[in-house]
Amino acid sequence: MLSMQNISMVYRTDTVETHALREFSLEVGEGEFVAVTGPSGSGKTTFLNIAGLLERFTSGKYLLDGKDVSSLSDSDTSKVRNEKIGFVFQGFNLIPDLNVFDNVDVPLRYRGFDTAERKRRIEGVLERVGLSSRAKHLPSQLSGGQQQRVAIARALAGEPRFLLADEPTGNLDSHMAESIMALIEEINAGGTTVIMVTHDPALAERAGRNVHIRDGQVSDVETDVQLVANA
Amino acid sequence: MQIGPIWRALMRNKTGAILIALQVAVTMAIMVNAISIIQSRAESMARPSGVDEPNIFHIVSVGYTEDFDERSVIEQDLAAIRAMPGVIDAIQTNSVPLSGGGWSMGLQTEPGADQDGVGVAVYFVDEHGLDTYGLKLVAGENFTPGDVEWRERQATDWPSTTLLTQAMAEQLFPDNWRDALGATVYINDDEPLVVKGIIERMQAAWNGWDGVERVMLVPQHTLFGSTRYVIRTEPGQRDSLMPEVEKLLADSNRDRIVRGMQTMTETRERSYRGDSSMIKLLTFTIVLLLVITSLGIVGLASFSVSRRTKQIGTRRALGASKSSIARYFMTENVLISGVGVALGAVLTVGLNMLLVDAFGLDRLEIWLVPAAMLVLLLVGQLAVFGPARRAAGVPPAVATRTI
Repeated sequence: MLSMQNISMVYRTDTVETHALREFSLEVGEGEFVAVTGPSGSGKTTFLNIAGLLERFTSGKYLLDGKDVSSLSDSDTSKVRNEKIGFVFQGFNLIPDLNVFDNVDVPLRYRGFDTAERKRRIEGVLERVGLSSRAKHLPSQLSGGQQQRVAIARALAGEPRFLLADEPTGNLDSHMAESIMALIEEINAGGTTVIMVTHDPALAERAGRNVHIRDGQVSDVETDVQLVANA
Repeated sequence: MQIGPIWRALMRNKTGAILIALQVAVTMAIMVNAISIIQSRAESMARPSGVDEPNIFHIVSVGYTEDFDERSVIEQDLAAIRAMPGVIDAIQTNSVPLSGGGWSMGLQTEPGADQDGVGVAVYFVDEHGLDTYGLKLVAGENFTPGDVEWRERQATDWPSTTLLTQAMAEQLFPDNWRDALGATVYINDDEPLVVKGIIERMQAAWNGWDGVERVMLVPQHTLFGSTRYVIRTEPGQRDSLMPEVEKLLADSNRDRIVRGMQTMTETRERSYRGDSSMIKLLTFTIVLLLVITSLGIVGLASFSVSRRTKQIGTRRALGASKSSIARYFMTENVLISGVGVALGAVLTVGLNMLLVDAFGLDRLEIWLVPAAMLVLLLVGQLAVFGPARRAAGVPPAVATRTI
C-alpha cells in the first residue's frame, strides 16, 4: 500500500544543510497499524509529512497504492490527499470559526460531494465518534478529547484508505488518550491502514508494528510478536 | 462554493470585516456623488457656446481724453480691422459669451408691468454680429445696416428689432418656438421689439445661469466709454492676428488704452476654471478613497492570512488546492465588499437626496449605483489578489508544525 524506497530529505539554507531523512525505506501493507517512534529531531514528522504528501522529498521513490507520487502536480497531490489520506494532528487543527459540522465538512467540500451526500457522511462519522449531539458546537466549546474526535471524524468522513496520526493523544490526559486510541484501533480494525507517529512507547505497543527512527533512518522494526515478548 | 461556511466564519470574527464593509460603503457614497457632480460639471463645460470659439478673440478699448470721439473711433477701428487680411469679420459689442460680465433684461410677450418677463442676456451688435460669432440663423433674417442705431450710456430706448436664440424663443413661445419669428415682444414692460430672426444657439456671459442659452441680439453700437471688439479670423490665423490688431488699435489713436485681449478659448477656460478645479479635486478624492479602501482590504486580508496560516496549512492537508485557498479569500472579500456596496447603495442615494435638498445639486443617474458597486467589487478583488496568492502559497506541511 505504501512503499518508500531510499527516501532522502535535505533542508538547505545558505549556510546549513540538514538531513532529515537518509535513505529511508519502509513498506506498509493494506490494513496495517504502524507506530512510528523516535526521539525529537529524529525525522518522525518529516516522514509523516512525506507519507501524507504534505512535503516533497529530495530523492528516492515513494509509491502509494502502487502509484509513484513523486511526480504529481500540486493539484493532483491535493486530490490524492483529499481522497486517500485522513490526517489526525496533535493539536487537532480544527478551524476555530467553524462549528463541528462545518469542520467535518471541509474535506468533503474539496471532494466535490453534493449537499445530501456530505450531510449523510458527516452525520455518519459524528455518530461513529459519539458527537452527533455536538454538531453545532464550536471547537472552543468542546473538551480536548472531543476536539480530537471531531478531527478523527473529519479524517474519516472521506473514507480514506490511509489514516496518518501525528501524536494524536499528545495533548490529551490519559483518560481521553485511551478513548482516542480505542477509536483509532477500531478504525484500523475496520480495514483502514493507520500510521501513527508517537513518542509514547505504551501507545506504540498497541500497534501491529513499531518502526523506530533515529537520525533520519529506520533503526529498528518490531512486529506484534516481538512487542508481546518485550511486554 | 463555500459561501455558507465562509459567511458563518466571518460572522464569528466580524469586527474587521464590518469596518472594511463600512469603509467600502462610505467610499461608494462619496465616490458616486462625486462622480455625479463631476458628470454634471463636465456636461456643463461641454455645452457648445454656439460661437466659433477657436477663431475668435476680443479686446477692450477705453478712451480717456475729452477729445476722444468714441463713435468715429469705433467706425474707423471696425473698418480697419475688417479690412485686415485673415479677418473674417469684427464687431463692437458690450460683452462676450462666458466672460462673466454682461447685460441682462426681461422680455415678455404682452405689455404691462403686471406681466411676467423671461430673463435674457443682451448683446449689442450690428449686422456683422452673426458672421463675427459664426452664429447660425435658423429662422428669419439678419439685421440690416439700417436697423443699427447708436446708443448713449444713459439711453433707455430700445431699437425696434431683435434676434433671439431658439432657447429664448422656446421660453417665450413654449407651444412652438417658431411663433416667435415676426412676433412683438416687450422690454422694460412695454417697449415693443419685433423678432426679426432666430439663431440656433448662443450662450450668455454667465455659465452658471440656468438660462445660459437665453440670449437676445440688439442692433446697436454702444457709446459707453469702454468698448469691446470681437474679431473672428480665418482658421489658424487668430494667434498671429492678435498682436497685429492690438498694435493697430494702439497706434491709430493715442487717446485711449487697449487692454484685456483674450481668445475665446481663454475666456471659456477662465469661465470654467472653478468647475475644472472642482473636477480635479473630486477625481483626486475618488482615487484617494479607492486607494485607502484598497489598502484597508489588503491590510485586513493580509492580517487574516497571517492569523490563519496554520488553518490554511490544515485546509491544504485536507485536500484544498492552491486555487481553492485563493478562492476562499477572494470569496470572503466578495462577501465583505458585497455587504459594503449594498450598504453603500443606500448611503449613496441618501447622501444624494441630502445634497439635492441642501445644495440644489442634480439627482444622480441611477445607473451609477450598480456601476460603482461593480467597480468597488472589482477593486476589492484586485486588492485581495496579493494576499490570496500569499495564502495559496502556504505549504500544507504547516499543518504539522507545532508553532
